[in-house]
Amino acid sequence: MKKKFRMIHDENLCIGCQACSVACRSENDVPDNVFRMQVQIETKGIFPDLKMNMQRHSCVMCEDAPCVTVCPTGASFQTKDGLVQIDHRLCVSCKYCVVACPYDARFMNPITKNIEKCTFCYSNRVSKGLEPACVTVCPTDALVFGDINDTTSEVYKKAKESNLLYPKANLGTKPKVAFVPNKKGVSYE
Amino acid sequence: MSSTYTRRDFLKTTSFSAILAGTSCMAGKLGSLDTPMFDDINKTVNTYCEMCSSRCQVEAKVKKGKVTFIQGNSHSKGMNTSICARGASGHSQLYDEQRLVKPLIRVGKRGEDKWMAVSYEEAFNFISEKLSKIKKEYGAKSVLFSAKTGEQFNHLATFTSLFGSPNLFSHVSTCPITYKVAFHHTYGAGLKRDFSNSKYILNFGHNLFEGIAVSKTKKFAKAVNKDSCKLVVLEPRFSIVASKADEWHSVKPGTDLAFVLSLIHVWLRDGKYDKEFVKNYTVGIEQLIESTKTTTPKWQEKITGIKAEVVERIANEIYAAAPSCIIDWGHKTTTGQSEFQRTRAILVANALMGNLEKEGGLFFGKKAKTVNKIANMNIAPTISNPDKHIKIVKDLRIDRASQKGDNIFVSRKYGVLMDIPDAILSKKPYEVKAWVMTRTNPLITVANPEKMKEAMNKLDLIVVNDVYMSETAQIADVVLPEATYLERDEGIQDISSKAPAYMMRNKVVEPINKTLTSYEIFRTLAKKMNIDSKYKWDNINSYRAHQASGNIKLLEKLAKDGYVSFGIPSLLYREKSYVDKFVEKYPSASSNLDENGLFTKMIKFKTPSGKIEIFSQTIEDAFPGYGVPANHDMDVQKGYPYIITSGKTAIHTNGHTQNIPYLNMLMSDNPVWINPITAKKENLKNGDKIFLENSVGKEKATVFITEGIRPDTLFVYMGFGRDSKELKRADGKGTCQSKLLPLDKGPVCSTMITNTGVKITRA
Repeated sequence: MKKKFRMIHDENLCIGCQACSVACRSENDVPDNVFRMQVQIETKGIFPDLKMNMQRHSCVMCEDAPCVTVCPTGASFQTKDGLVQIDHRLCVSCKYCVVACPYDARFMNPITKNIEKCTFCYSNRVSKGLEPACVTVCPTDALVFGDINDTTSEVYKKAKESNLLYPKANLGTKPKVAFVPNKKGVSYE
Repeated sequence: MSSTYTRRDFLKTTSFSAILAGTSCMAGKLGSLDTPMFDDINKTVNTYCEMCSSRCQVEAKVKKGKVTFIQGNSHSKGMNTSICARGASGHSQLYDEQRLVKPLIRVGKRGEDKWMAVSYEEAFNFISEKLSKIKKEYGAKSVLFSAKTGEQFNHLATFTSLFGSPNLFSHVSTCPITYKVAFHHTYGAGLKRDFSNSKYILNFGHNLFEGIAVSKTKKFAKAVNKDSCKLVVLEPRFSIVASKADEWHSVKPGTDLAFVLSLIHVWLRDGKYDKEFVKNYTVGIEQLIESTKTTTPKWQEKITGIKAEVVERIANEIYAAAPSCIIDWGHKTTTGQSEFQRTRAILVANALMGNLEKEGGLFFGKKAKTVNKIANMNIAPTISNPDKHIKIVKDLRIDRASQKGDNIFVSRKYGVLMDIPDAILSKKPYEVKAWVMTRTNPLITVANPEKMKEAMNKLDLIVVNDVYMSETAQIADVVLPEATYLERDEGIQDISSKAPAYMMRNKVVEPINKTLTSYEIFRTLAKKMNIDSKYKWDNINSYRAHQASGNIKLLEKLAKDGYVSFGIPSLLYREKSYVDKFVEKYPSASSNLDENGLFTKMIKFKTPSGKIEIFSQTIEDAFPGYGVPANHDMDVQKGYPYIITSGKTAIHTNGHTQNIPYLNMLMSDNPVWINPITAKKENLKNGDKIFLENSVGKEKATVFITEGIRPDTLFVYMGFGRDSKELKRADGKGTCQSKLLPLDKGPVCSTMITNTGVKITRA
């Protein structure tokens, strides 16, 4: 059966420590001052009734991916497992995909001038049976990754026991990164 | 760092011509060398981290001779592959071009940043000659020694003793001294927290989500995410731990003591405490009843800003959850004058709940020696200290630590860093001539750095070992580059928790430019100065062998896995299921069971009374009025309109990591948190430049308006406001809170004060 990858970010366990972001930098040789992924911390409310949301900011691996649709050279493509990747041999750095991405997840590598983004560490880790670097290092196990079709997997269990939401679900891009929304703190929403 | 000094310049500014031969003046940073050579080795090494003091077990991956990835050491169950951002950035420090890799001797004026790169040999000759001369003229005690705690500190302590100076200092007085002193006088030893199984955690700003210790943080995060565990946080700012709480109370800084005293008042008033436990294991409940008679919930309301009914409710909730409850004393407890009483009150509050050696409560660490005794057989190997026979010199210290006076309860191994400037400047009790330090930066991390600098400038010799050209290194006479933890083999460390466990630091790569480790530095200096006859070991391998008493198997396992536990079941003396499991595995332990089938006979308190001292006569004798938790010293504002507080971020460690590339990219500044009400009153916008000012100093700051702070309080992350142009990424950015801190100490425990009053002025 075709693999159906999911990455779940549990905002309740996430402490915004950025270990994921550093591990991503090491694993993927991300150049200085650009990021494939970060967790953005947002404090909401009026003192003392506050809440703090932890939002993962990275490529969400859309099923209906605007970056793939707009790419004039076919450099942006989906693997047979549905992961959005970039073939740098075909990329002409025209930045259509950067503009088209509703998640603001793509950037130009300042050294190679290629367009880059989170790959789920597909070629360097996941295809070798490892987890993405960010998932591996997370100190609180707030990130869970795997094939959701595999009923023995952690990601299947996590999805079953959690109320999963998808970022900007209203856009209909069908992301593969899901999140468990923050339930702590006082909300004015 | 200048690289253009000529021989003539050097001669003009120094009289140390002896070391001139064969040297040239040049920069001493990694960036000044040719690209370091990397071999073709691919491997993974299990070791432990030193990006902060938590020392988590890690696995480092090496590709073609270069460290490329650091993750948690999965041999250590509590870690699995997890690590924090700082830990994951170890190689960013290792290969930072601004890192020091050559010994430097100052050639210009102090702080002028003019250096000559020399060999270690030349640096050692210079240092040993100077130290010997000072020792001869002024006595060994005229030399101070200080380091961050850890194995490096232990090696420095040995050297200090052999040199003959009593003046040894750790960082403890600027960080965890309060709970160390409070535990000593209450339980006779420190306790650990069973976060995983707790049903109720009352937290006073112990921010394990920013001051990360991975295995503890993981347990804590999972526990507080469960519906079965309630977390209540008291903290002036909305920190990460506050954001994960079921309840957050923005307590006025310095006043947590009033809340705890009121909690105790409610329990004692209503008879809601573990009377059996208190009767069997404690002394002094009568004095506590007396001292908390008037500390009512209504009384604390005006002091803390927390409503009386909140205390009433929380008191009842904790009692209902007891003994599976933790009233958390925190870690960095250096906040205000009331710290000792606050921490003592917390420890006493735990005792009232009878949560000792109970699941979800508190417990004593179960080291090898302890479990072997219980099992009546050797189930885990013990570790010894090869330098145990080398005793700390018991001469008059400049801070009089452990001697009659303010610092009577401070260990000679800790000392009080805040007492150094006055002692140097006043030459009392005697003259100080030199300071030798390793991996410590008092000009950022200790209160009133201006005064510290003034004092340091009076010294004849300052020697600094560090990875970076810190502010303190800038005014040194000799700077020795230190091998980072990824380039060091070290000894075995005991990290027992509910069962025994050890870890060992294993070298991942050879030191760049052959930089030395601090133990090599002090071992070599001792040899050179001919004061090393008492060492039982020559190099780290023989040190390790002595530690393990020749247990090769243990050493091999630690060299391979970096961590070892022994399959011994977790043990809590007063939990039947834990005790049964232990006895099942080790039937020989049954002779230690009490009539209820528990190990209560093993509960021993190393206090004068042999019990938990709710009232301590020892403290009362030295500090009248402080023997029992009572209302003391809660004003930190001192007449100023605002209180400035500080704390940790998950991204940086104290005064060390701000310049590390990966971490600097994530956070390079620490704007001051200001509530919108305060901002309006002071007419401030986001990004405005202001001064924070009080009688100690005046420090620049950038305004960050946030709802996450009380209107009367300001907050900055620690370790910024750097002042060393060699730290090119961090220099000049942010606010150094230390510049506003008085050199006052908290009574009894001599803790550094980190909450203080300030006013805001426009820049």
